[in-house]
Amino acid sequence: MNMLETKGLYHDFSGLKVLFDINLQVKEGERHAVIGPNGAGKTTLFNIITGTYKPSKGKVFFKGKEITGLKPCDLCRIGMGRSFQITSTFNRLTAFQNIRLAILSKRGVRFNLLRKVDKIEEITRETEEVLKRINLIGERNFPAGALSYGKHRALEISLAMATDPELVLLDEFAAGMSRDETHNAVALIRKLTEGKTVVIIEHDMDVVFSLADRITVLHYGRILATGTPDEIRRNQEVKDAYLGDLEV
Amino acid sequence: MKNKIINWFLWVGLIVIVAIIPKVFGAYYVSLIVTFAVFAVLSVSLNVLLGFTGLLSFGHAMFFGAGGYGTALALKHIAGLSLLSSVGIGVLSASVLALVLCPLVVRVSGTAFAMLHLAFAQLMYVLALKLRGITGGEDGIGNFPIPPFTIPGVVSFNMKGVPENFYYFAMIVLGLSVWLMWFFTKTPFGQIQVGIRDNAKRIDYLGFKVSHTKAVVYVVSAAFAGVAGSVYAIFHNLVSADGSLGVLVSFQPIINTMIGGVGSFFGPIWGTAIFQILEEIIVRFTDRVELVIGVTLILVIMFAPQGLAGWITTLKQRFFSASSHKLEKIS
Amino acid sequence: MDATTSMYVAQGIHGLAYGMVLFLIASGLNVIFGMMGILNLAHGAFFMLSAYFCYSVLNLTGNFWLALLLAPLFTAFFGIILERFFLRKMHAMGHMGELIMTLGVSLVILAAVKIFWGTENLPVKMPPILEGMVSLGGLEYPVYRLFIIGLAGVVLAIMTLLLYKTRLGKIVRAAVSDREMVNALGINIPVVFMVVFGVGTWMAGVAGVVIAPILTVFPGLADQVGMDAFLVVITGGFGSLLGAVIVSIIFGLLSSYGVQFLSQLAPVVMVGFMALVLAIRPSGLFGVKE
Ligand SMILES: Nc1ncnc2c1ncn2[C@@H]1O[C@H](COP(=O)(O)OP(=O)(O)OP(=O)(O)O)[C@@H](O)[C@H]1O
Ligand SMILES: [Mg+2]
Repeated sequence: MNMLETKGLYHDFSGLKVLFDINLQVKEGERHAVIGPNGAGKTTLFNIITGTYKPSKGKVFFKGKEITGLKPCDLCRIGMGRSFQITSTFNRLTAFQNIRLAILSKRGVRFNLLRKVDKIEEITRETEEVLKRINLIGERNFPAGALSYGKHRALEISLAMATDPELVLLDEFAAGMSRDETHNAVALIRKLTEGKTVVIIEHDMDVVFSLADRITVLHYGRILATGTPDEIRRNQEVKDAYLGDLEV
Repeated sequence: MKNKIINWFLWVGLIVIVAIIPKVFGAYYVSLIVTFAVFAVLSVSLNVLLGFTGLLSFGHAMFFGAGGYGTALALKHIAGLSLLSSVGIGVLSASVLALVLCPLVVRVSGTAFAMLHLAFAQLMYVLALKLRGITGGEDGIGNFPIPPFTIPGVVSFNMKGVPENFYYFAMIVLGLSVWLMWFFTKTPFGQIQVGIRDNAKRIDYLGFKVSHTKAVVYVVSAAFAGVAGSVYAIFHNLVSADGSLGVLVSFQPIINTMIGGVGSFFGPIWGTAIFQILEEIIVRFTDRVELVIGVTLILVIMFAPQGLAGWITTLKQRFFSASSHKLEKIS
Repeated sequence: MDATTSMYVAQGIHGLAYGMVLFLIASGLNVIFGMMGILNLAHGAFFMLSAYFCYSVLNLTGNFWLALLLAPLFTAFFGIILERFFLRKMHAMGHMGELIMTLGVSLVILAAVKIFWGTENLPVKMPPILEGMVSLGGLEYPVYRLFIIGLAGVVLAIMTLLLYKTRLGKIVRAAVSDREMVNALGINIPVVFMVVFGVGTWMAGVAGVVIAPILTVFPGLADQVGMDAFLVVITGGFGSLLGAVIVSIIFGLLSSYGVQFLSQLAPVVMVGFMALVLAIRPSGLFGVKE
C-alpha cells in the first residue's frame, strides 16, 4: 500500500501556476526524496500535503484515505509530521519545553487542567529521553532561540518526529549546515526515522543519494521523473534539465 | 527544601496580614483593599488572555459587567438565593457571554481582536443604559438584598452592613481565583497556551487545535473577570453602566498589566497595587482620572515597556554579576 | 410630494451627511493604517479636538471659513507631534506599543479638553449662507448637509489622487513594503511618515469642524462619533478605502433611519451589522487576510 499518494494535484497562487498534475506515490517504509531547482514548487507540494493550503485541483491520500483539505492539526493526529525549511520552533521556550509540547500531543494530553505539567513524571522522562537522543540534554534549559544553528535545526527536526508520526516530511533539513553538521544531521535522521516513511526535500545531492530509496524530480511544477537513485542518475531528461547544471 | 520552608512562612505571613487588616485599620482601608483585590483579579484575568496567548482585549469590562449585572439581577429577583450561588450566577453570565462571542472572536487576532472587544463592550454599555426596565439605566441596580454567608447548621455570617465579614469573604473568593488562574497556567493546557503565544503555526502542526485552545482560555479569562465584577457589585451593593461597563473599566486592567509587566503572572497584581497607591496620592490633588491613566500609560510604554517585572530583571542582571553572566548566555 | 416622502428624503440626506463625516474620519484612520500600519486610537480624540479648535476660532474671529481652514491644521500639527516624538519610539515594540501609546494620548486629550473648555455642550453657529433649505425637483434639502456631502467628496477626491496617483503616494507605499530600499534611494522616510500622519489627522480635523454645528461640541464627541468611525474601519476592512465608503454610508443611513424606527437601539443595529459581517469575513468586508 502507498503511505502517501497524490492524484492530479494542481496549485496556483492567485494566478501564478506553481504545480501541474502532480502524481506522487510514496511507499510504506521508504525514504523518498523530492528534488528540484529553487522555486520548482517543492515546499508548496509539502504545504498542500500537510494541510497548509488546499490544492486548486486534485486529491491527496494518506494510508489509503483521502485527506484533501484536512487541517495540519488533524493530519498530525492521524500520524503525519513535518519540519520546516525556515526553522519554526518556540523560540522563547526552552528546548525542554519545546519537545514537551510534542510529547503532550503524542500522548493526547490536551485539555488537562487538573495537574501541573511539571509534576507529570512520565512526560518529563520521555521528553528528556528525546533530548538525550538528539544530543540536546546539555541545552535542556536554553531558550530555543538561543541555540546554535545546528542544534536549532536538530530541534526543528525532532519536533516533527517527537509526536511519533508514521509519515515524516522534512523540508531541507540540512539547509545552511556545515559539512560536519550535515553529516550529523543525516546520522540523526537515519536513527530517528527507523521504521518510518520519510519524504525529504533536499538540494545536497550527496545527502539525497545516500539517504533516499527513491527520488522524484520536480521541475517548474511538473514531475520530470521518479525512480531509484540509479535510474535518476541515468535519466537523460533529468540530466539535461537539472543534474547537468550541477555536474553530477 | 529551605526555599520551600521560606515560601511557607511567607504565605502564612501574608494570610495573617490579610486577616488582621480589618482589626488594625479602619473601614476605609478595608474598602481600599477589596477594591485592590477586585481589580487585581480583573487584571490577572486580562493577562491570562494577553500575556499567555497574546490576545489584547480593549473590552474586558463587558465580562466584569456581566458578572456584576448577573449577580445583582439574581439577588434582586430571586428570593432566598445564597451568597455563593449569586456569585456563581455572575460568573455564569460572564462565561455564557464569552461562549456566545467565542465562534466570532477566535477567528481574529491582533488589532481586530482588540477593537472588536472595544465595540462589543460599547454595545453592552449602550444596552445597559437604554434597557432601563432591566438595568435601571444610568442609576444602575442598587440596594439589592445581600444574603448572609451560611454553612447550613454550622455558621452564618451577616454580610449586609458588616464590611469586615464581606472583606473576609471577598478576600477568600478573590485569593482562590488568583490561585486557580495561576494553577491554570501551570497545567499542560497552560503550556499549550504559551506555545500559541510563541508560534501558533507550529502548535497547529503539533496536532493542537489553536482556535479551540484560544476559546477555552477566552472563556476562563471571562469567567474570572466575572468573579471580580460580581464581588465588586455585592461589595458596593450597586452595579452601574459607568462603574462596571465603561471604557475606563476596560482600560484599567490593561494599565495595571502594563505597569506590572505583561507575561509575568504576578506582574498585574503588583501593577494594580502601584497604580492604586499612585491614584490614592494623586486624587488628593486632582480628580482627573483620565489624565492620570493617560499619562501613566504613556510614561510606562516609553520608559518601562516591560513593566515592573522587566525592570526588576534588568536590575538583577546589573547587580548580580554572577547570575547576569548566566542570563547573558541564555538570551 | 407628500410630507412623509419628503421626511424620508430629509432623513436620507441627514444619514448620508453623517455617513460622509464618518467616512472622512474613517479614511483618515485608514490612510494612517494603510500606509504606516498604525492603528491610531487617538484619532477620535483628534476629531473632537478639532471641533473645540473650531469653537474657539469661531469665538475669536466669528468666521466659520477661517475655522474650517485653521482648526484642522492645528489638529494636524498635534498629530505630527504625536508621530514625531512619541509614536516613532514605539516602532520596535510592535503594535501593542502603538495601541497603548495612542490610547494614552487619547485619554490625555480628553482630559485636556475638559480642563480648557469644560464639559458643557458648546454651540457652534453655521455660516448664514449654509442655513435653511434649498428646493430641487420639488423636494427640500437642508443646505448644510449638502455642503458636508460635497466637501467630504472633494477632500476625499484630493486625498485619493494625492496618495494613489502622485510620487508621494508611491514613495509612501514603497516605504511600507521595503523601508531600507527606499532609504537607500535617498528618500527621507521619517518626513514621509510625518506627512502621512499629518494628513490623516487633518482629515479627522475637517470632520470635526463640519460636525460641530450639527452636534455641538462636547467631550463625548470622541466616543460617540469616533467609535462609529472605528466600527466603520473594522467592518469595511482595515486599510480599504472602498470598504470605508460603503460601510460609512450604510452606518450613516442606519443611524438616521434607525433613530426613527428603532429610536434608542440604533447603535445596537450597527454593532449587530458589524458582528454579522465579521462572522462571515473576519478581516472585514474588503480587508485582506492577515
Ligand atoms: N504564498 C505564496 N504566494 C505566492 N507565491 C508563492 C507562495 N509560496 C510560493 N510561491 C511561489 O511558488 C513557487 C514555488 O515555490 P516553492 O517555495 O514551492 O519552491 P521550492 O521548490 O520549495 O523552492 P526552494 O528550493 O527555493 O525552497 C515560487 O515561484 C514561489 O515564488
Ligand atoms: Mg522550499
